[in-house]
Amino acid sequence: MIDQDTIKEVFAIAEQRRADRRRFIKTAAAGIAATGALTALSACGDDYDEDTVSTPTPTPTPTSPASSVEMDVLNFALNLEYLEANYYISSAFGTGLNSLSMTGTGTQGTVIGGRQVTFTDPTVANYAREIAADENAHVLFLRSQLGSSAVAMPTINIDGGPSGAFTAAATAAKIPLVNGGFDPYLNDDTWLLGGMLLSDVGVTAYKGSATLIANKVFLEAAAGILAVEAYHSGLIRTLLYSRGIAPATPIATAANDRTYSNMISDARDSVDGTITQAGPPQLYADDDQGVTQSPADANTSNIVPSDSNGIVFGRTAANVLNVVYLNKAAVSSGGFFPSGVNGNIKTSNNNA
Amino acid sequence: MADSEQLIAALDSRVQRREDRRAFFRAALGAAAVGASAFAISGAAQAQTVQLTDADILNFALNLEYLEANFYYFAVFGTPIPATSTTGTGTLGAANFTGAVPVNFTGDPIVGQYAREIAADELAHVNFLRSQLMTAAVAQPAIDLSVTPTSAFSSAARSAGIIADAGKDAAGKPLPQTTTFDPYSSPENFLLGAFIFEDVGVTAYKGASPLLTDKRYLDAAAGILAAEAYHASIVRTVLDQKGVKMPGLMLRETTEKISTARDTLDGTPASAGPPMLVADDDQGIVPIQNGAGTVSNIVPTDANAMAFSRSTGQVLNIVYLSPPATATKDAAGATVAAVPVMKGGFFPNGVNGTITKGTTA
Repeated sequence: MIDQDTIKEVFAIAEQRRADRRRFIKTAAAGIAATGALTALSACGDDYDEDTVSTPTPTPTPTSPASSVEMDVLNFALNLEYLEANYYISSAFGTGLNSLSMTGTGTQGTVIGGRQVTFTDPTVANYAREIAADENAHVLFLRSQLGSSAVAMPTINIDGGPSGAFTAAATAAKIPLVNGGFDPYLNDDTWLLGGMLLSDVGVTAYKGSATLIANKVFLEAAAGILAVEAYHSGLIRTLLYSRGIAPATPIATAANDRTYSNMISDARDSVDGTITQAGPPQLYADDDQGVTQSPADANTSNIVPSDSNGIVFGRTAANVLNVVYLNKAAVSSGGFFPSGVNGNIKTSNNNA
Repeated sequence: MADSEQLIAALDSRVQRREDRRAFFRAALGAAAVGASAFAISGAAQAQTVQLTDADILNFALNLEYLEANFYYFAVFGTPIPATSTTGTGTLGAANFTGAVPVNFTGDPIVGQYAREIAADELAHVNFLRSQLMTAAVAQPAIDLSVTPTSAFSSAARSAGIIADAGKDAAGKPLPQTTTFDPYSSPENFLLGAFIFEDVGVTAYKGASPLLTDKRYLDAAAGILAAEAYHASIVRTVLDQKGVKMPGLMLRETTEKISTARDTLDGTPASAGPPMLVADDDQGIVPIQNGAGTVSNIVPTDANAMAFSRSTGQVLNIVYLSPPATATKDAAGATVAAVPVMKGGFFPNGVNGTITKGTTA
């Protein structure tokens, strides 16, 4: 019988091996085509799965197995990671998530829309590839922790066309449409705005769920993913703020980056309700902020969306669903998830 | 006071030590029967198993916030944080800004905006933690944010190889240091100064998160963790952008040097945790080339795309600018147990509270 400490040690070693493997993948000879990179991402995933089959993981631990609440929370997070991973993988590489990473309980769906962005600024393209790799890893990690309880990828709408979810979100935010739509794959700036739509929500979701996780191993893992989502969000918001005033070259919508970010924030605020509670989790009526201090003050930066204590906001899972369903009512599908999410947490809050 | 000679020696041995550690991992995993004895080494790395209260942990964080808040506040406003935000238990110390002048952001007002925003956030963190701890809050300890050849910033930069070391005279005696790292001299140096702290704050909060028991504190700590990650991301993103536009400054490369120095200072513990600790827990921002082209490295993560954790002792090793203490031998050849470092670097008199010790190797 292997005791819990030993299992944890084995887990640490597996992690170390994967880290070494990842370094190998990252430093592999250049010259492989872009599709080769996706294979590398997939290979990373395969490697991961192999490890988790052959080595015990701390899930569930003998002393504190994952409770049903924790399973529900992790599966809820997995739905969001499916959405983020598909957006970033598609925009960076022009393909979707590996089909082996879509299986699970509930109804497996498909990805609607998405395409590779032709980035103008090579550093922004670098960021897209980095975030894609991270979100892909989050999907794999959560799936490995949930094992056979992992939910399947639901149908995801990341379409940039007139009938796509991004256009619906932009319409709600009153962002002027171009050719009847808001296409996040059009250029660097629209891609950043699309990223802001998703990444800030991820941060508030993980923050709002932290206190629901009792198992310390999961809690620390969730804190680690929360931090990474915040790094992503900080990256995107920093670029929206800095490009919004002085783009290196005239790009379609760069001049509007700051304004549009504030409009997106206001739109999210209008659907996610006005619950106020001391918590935990602490909730505020106004829990979303654009990249400047206020729409009227377009100069003072506000990269970190936070309360007066410098503490980043949290959202309940139900209010996160209001945002991704693009609906202030209590519904179980819509927006980026046209068939709803999989798992037990699937209905948005009634904020109508 | 940091002994930069000791740091440099530790730096040199780092690569070898990491290789040894990895070799150990492979050997251990290769063994069919993975017994407890194979992991005896982890006991040393996990030495700190004292039961800590939430107040102990929040006070530990408060010391770090005093450090960060003073740095940003001075950079923007030219003064330390308000005295009313520094009182408490333990010995009240001053923040030393000898030789420092506030950063002139007129050449890059956008970085000035970020500095003001982060300064406000960090002071808010100080005040928030103090409001939660009330009379249990520790006082601000003495903090070195000065600009001299022997300042904490200069010692840190020297150990990272950013500024030159004076070396030794013919008799092998260390020569007085003459070079200085001034994090207030330009927006770029300010970002490098910030880089020294920000990722450390993220790893400190993440490492402490599973130690908190009160859910209200956990909720708040998660929110501060995220704020620190946003800050770190701002700093890393802007350094990356400037690294492209101002290649002569070698900003990307410099972050790697700082990262390597931190990795050396914090030792090589490995623990499945919580908190989960890995030997190589720090990364700069130099992009990585792979089959897809170039991949940036704004987010320092492990293979699961999770941010790293550090133990409190590891964090203190970094801010004390002193690597894990090692056992020594006395004149008779008997082993003298390692004595954890309790002050130095940015905290010349140590930190206030119950968590004060660096790690032992």
